[in-house]
Parts: sequence; structure tokens; C-alpha cells
Amino acid sequence: MKDDVIISVKDLKTFFYTNNRCNKAVNGVSFDIKKGKTLCVVGESGCGKSVTASSIMQLLPKLSRIENGKITYHSNEGDIRIDQLKKNGAEMRAIRGSDISMIFQDPMTALNPVYSIGFQISENIQYHTRLKKSERKDQSIKLLKEMGIPLPEQRINEYPHQYSGGMRQRAMIAMAMACNPKVLIADEPTTALDVTIQAQIFELMDELKEKHDTAIMLITHDMGVVTELADDVVVMYMGNIVENGTVDDVLRKPSHPYTKALLESIPVLGRGKNQVIEPIKGSTPDPYNRPKGCQFAPRCPYADSSCLVMPDESSINNTHSVRCWHPMEAV
Amino acid sequence: MLTYTLRRLLILIPMLLFLSFLIYLGLELTPGDAVSYMISPERYATMDPAELEAVREALGLDDPFLIRYAKWLGGVLKGDFGYSLQSGVPIRDIVFDRLPATLELSAGAIIISTIFGIFFGTISALKRGSIGDNALTLAGMLGVSVPRFIFGLLAILLFTFHLKWLPVGGRLRPGYEGFMDRLPHLIMPTLVLSATLVAGIMRYSRASMLDAMNRDFMKTARSKGLPEWRVNFVHGLRVSLIPVIVLIAFRLPILLGGTVIIEQVFQWPGIGSEFIGAVRSRNYPIVMMIAFFTTFAVLFVSFLIDLFTALLDPRVKLD
Repeated sequence: MKDDVIISVKDLKTFFYTNNRCNKAVNGVSFDIKKGKTLCVVGESGCGKSVTASSIMQLLPKLSRIENGKITYHSNEGDIRIDQLKKNGAEMRAIRGSDISMIFQDPMTALNPVYSIGFQISENIQYHTRLKKSERKDQSIKLLKEMGIPLPEQRINEYPHQYSGGMRQRAMIAMAMACNPKVLIADEPTTALDVTIQAQIFELMDELKEKHDTAIMLITHDMGVVTELADDVVVMYMGNIVENGTVDDVLRKPSHPYTKALLESIPVLGRGKNQVIEPIKGSTPDPYNRPKGCQFAPRCPYADSSCLVMPDESSINNTHSVRCWHPMEAV
Repeated sequence: MLTYTLRRLLILIPMLLFLSFLIYLGLELTPGDAVSYMISPERYATMDPAELEAVREALGLDDPFLIRYAKWLGGVLKGDFGYSLQSGVPIRDIVFDRLPATLELSAGAIIISTIFGIFFGTISALKRGSIGDNALTLAGMLGVSVPRFIFGLLAILLFTFHLKWLPVGGRLRPGYEGFMDRLPHLIMPTLVLSATLVAGIMRYSRASMLDAMNRDFMKTARSKGLPEWRVNFVHGLRVSLIPVIVLIAFRLPILLGGTVIIEQVFQWPGIGSEFIGAVRSRNYPIVMMIAFFTTFAVLFVSFLIDLFTALLDPRVKLD
């Protein structure tokens, strides 16, 4: 295994079982999160981004389970197969919040309303270190300060509802960063925030990545953010990774028709109001009634009879791979 | 905080005045009076109207309605609750005599139902869909829907007549005074009263816990690597308790006056059975006093609930 990889996911399948039907939410994805790098996972709503993240944390909802595949965490003490750990067992809990931590979409609902911010940060430290209560408090104040929250000595005793949206997400990040994790999983961390605050939060995350050498798995559908932050990009569609590569590979030389369509559907600031925006035709298929073969084929302008069979992943160069019978030529 | 408390306490005064007037009016509009109850129908029919008037005058029943209300109110303000129309015993004595029995019963029931209601409700939510959850749900439905007096009668049938474990009713036997002597009498009414309350609290805390378990902060708590017990009890239960505590607190005043039926079934010498007797005999000073106290308890508890929720939920501001 290459030693710059911190988490490798191999052929992960996570299925949901509801009403005797099976939704193959994540249907065989493989990717690596590299040490100290940012991996952006992009795709439409419902394509399996969040489920992939939850699978890595073993925080899947009750009706779902990891069906197949390997999730390997390359820790300093050797490789750990996360998918083989018990969901809420001691080993998994030791990793969660300490080595791998997570921040969520809506910081209002993700924080417990009846406990102070200080309590909630300190709780994380309590379960992963041997620090005393007063040391935990000092540590929490230090974290809030690092996240750019003014007057941390006072604000530590305040409750989530006394924080603004951006502040809450900062507090959430403080909580996630409390034990200096190797990997930070951010599940659309700015969807619930204003645009100006979004930029600040991403700036903060980028700073932390540089400072603590934390790898970030960022789930987003904001292509602008991808350009700014990503080192590597994974494009997902209907539970599969359709394209995987460095940010240059994927954004400059998109190979999969879906990636290309996704990029063409975004308005670009400065190109004026007459720019051509091409929406992707059709809508995502019903997950219970999937098309045969390539999932994107029914909406793809290049589809032909060969697309009735699911294509394998094929390499374009040693960092760039695509899952398509007709990969696009670099423009 | 202080101004809030003062304001709330001051608002109590006009509310109590208004409600006591309503109750007085209600009694006034009820046909018959204490005199007609005290005298047997045969004598009543043959009695000289002047003689009847004399009895009424002696009891102060001849004044116009508003004057009587004013007199009653004046007495209450001076701390004089009046006398029972039948026995002439001061109502203060009656209340102090009866209240401990009712409090003993309702305090026991509240404590038992709070502990078991929250315990079973939370377990039920955590083990949702299990056999235990379904059994508790069924028991809860029965507990909520079967009237208390039926429970009471069934309990008497089982524990007194078949098993001969517990006395049929009453609070004491002559010659026995200690709490341990009273205990066998206390068990059945307390448990029957608790049964309905447990069922209600259990259903409510189950729903509240399920709601809390689905909230996003539970996933956050798990993502921090906390053990399941801490996620469920420190994060989930703590949030789910807020509405449950309010529900329980609202039951407190109801238990003061609401044990009426249980007290009847078990001949428990409490406020409730006194109340029933007083209503039947149009003994209005007693009815007024008990109703007045219950009203006061309801209003006061709702004020306490506000203080308490502010304590439990940091989002609640009292100003």
C-alpha cells in the first residue's frame, strides 16, 4: 500500500432495506483519502455521498448496512479494517472523534441544545484523553480561540442558540478538531450558511489542514469550492464513482459525460448574463427501479447499446480513472 | 427573574378572584340549598315557611348572592374559611384533618408513576419494536383507557377477596396509629392511582424519547466516540425529559382534587371524599374552599412549571 494514503475504500457496498425493498445507495465505490490532502466528493443529492461518509464512520442508520467491501484506516499503529469493527464497539469508538471526526450539514440541529458549547467540546476530549476537568476546559477555550471565536472564555459557557450560524459551525469544527484527528469528514458543512460565512468556514478548514496536516473528505455540490480546496476529486452518480482523479484531471479534462454535463450546468461569475448554461436533461432514476448497465446512460447524449452493460473503471493516466465506455477526449 | 416572579404572583390575585366568583356562581345556580338537604323531605313539606326562613337566616343563606360572596371573600382574606353548614366544624380543621391523607396518597402515586413511567417509556423507546416494547404499549393503552374505578374494583376483588392480602379500604384500624400500620391500607389505592398515571407518562416519555433519538445531535454525539449509554442517557434522555417533566408537573394539582374517585372506591378519608359529600349536601363553604385551593394549586404549579422549564431548557427565557 502506498504510504501517503490514510484511508482506502475498496469496492464498498452499503445497502438500505426499507419495506422489503433494497436501495443500493452505495454500489461498489473505491477511492483513497491521502494524508493531509483534501478529497472532494461531488454529485447530485441522493447519489450516495453522505452514505459513503457515514460508512467510514460506521454511523449508518438502523436500516442500512455495509454489505461488502473494505474500509482500511492506515493508522500509525498499523492498518485497521473499519468495516470489520463492531459498530459501537470500543475500538470503533476509540477511532471516532479522535482519529477520524466528522462535521455535519446543519450546525443548529447537530449540536445538543441543552448543553453548553464548552461541555460538548470537553466531552470529546474526555473520552479520548486522560486530561483533568480544568485542563479540558483550557483546551476547549484554546480550540474556540483557534477557530476564531471572539471572547472564548465567555462563549464557552454559552449554549448553541446563543451562537450565530457561522459560529455554531466553528464550534462544531472545534469539537471535531479537539483530538487532532488524522481525517476530518465534512458533510456539506456550509449548506445551511450564508455565502460569506461559507467562504470563512472553508478558509478555516484549509488553514487547519495546513496546520495540523489533517486529511479532509469534503462532501459538496459546489464546484467553486472544489476548485478552491480540492486536491483530489471523486464524482459520484447513483451510488457509483463515475470519475476519480486530481482536481486538474477532473475539472480541466473531464472524461465522463456526467462530469462534463455537471460542469456545463454551472454559471460562471464574470462570464456575463448571456452565457450558455446547459442543464442535465431528465432526472435521476428511481433508486428502486434502476436502469440496466451504466446508470447515466438514459440521460447521456453519447449512450449506445454498449452502455447496457456496466463499464469497468479504466485508467486515463495513473491518477485519473473513469467508468465509461466512451470517455471524452480532453478538450 | 425577580420582576418576572413578582409579576406572575401578582397576576395570580385577579385570576383567583375571578375563578372563585365563577365557582360561587356555579354553586348559586345549582338547584336546592343546604337547608333542603338537612331536613327530611316529609318534614320539609309540612314545615312552616317562616321556620325555614329562620333556619336559612341562621346559616346566612338569606342574603342576596353578591353580598354572600362578599362576606365569604372577606372571611377568606382574614383567614377565616367559615364553618361546615352541617356539623358546624371550622373548615380549617376539616382541611387540616383530611389533607394529609390525600397528600399521602397522591405523593406516593406521583413518585411511583414518575419513576416507572419514565423508566418504562425510555426502555420502550430504546428497544422499539421488540416484544417488550409491544407489551408495554399494550399495557399503556389499557392503562390510559380503562377507568380508574374499574381498576380499583378489580384490585379489591383480587387482593382482598381472593388473595386476602390487603384490607378492602379505609386508612386505619381503631387502635393502630403508626405509618407501618397504615401501610397495608395505602398500598392498593396508591398502586391503582399510579397505574393510570404510569401509563400516561410512559406513552408520553416513549414518544419524546423516540423524537430525541431521531435528532441530529445524537449522530454528532456518536461521531465523538461516546459510548451508547452516554449517547442515549446524557444526550437523548436529557432532551426528552423536558416535555415529560412539564406533563408530570401539570398532574400535581389534579392529584389534590383528582383522587376523588379513588378515595370513594377505597373509602379513603381524604379531601376528595369530603368534596363529594359537600357537593351532595350543598355544603357550599366546604365546596368553595376545596375548589379554591385546587384552583390556587393549578395556578401556582403552572407558575412553578415555567420556572422549572427555564431551568431545564437553556433556550427558555423568562422575561
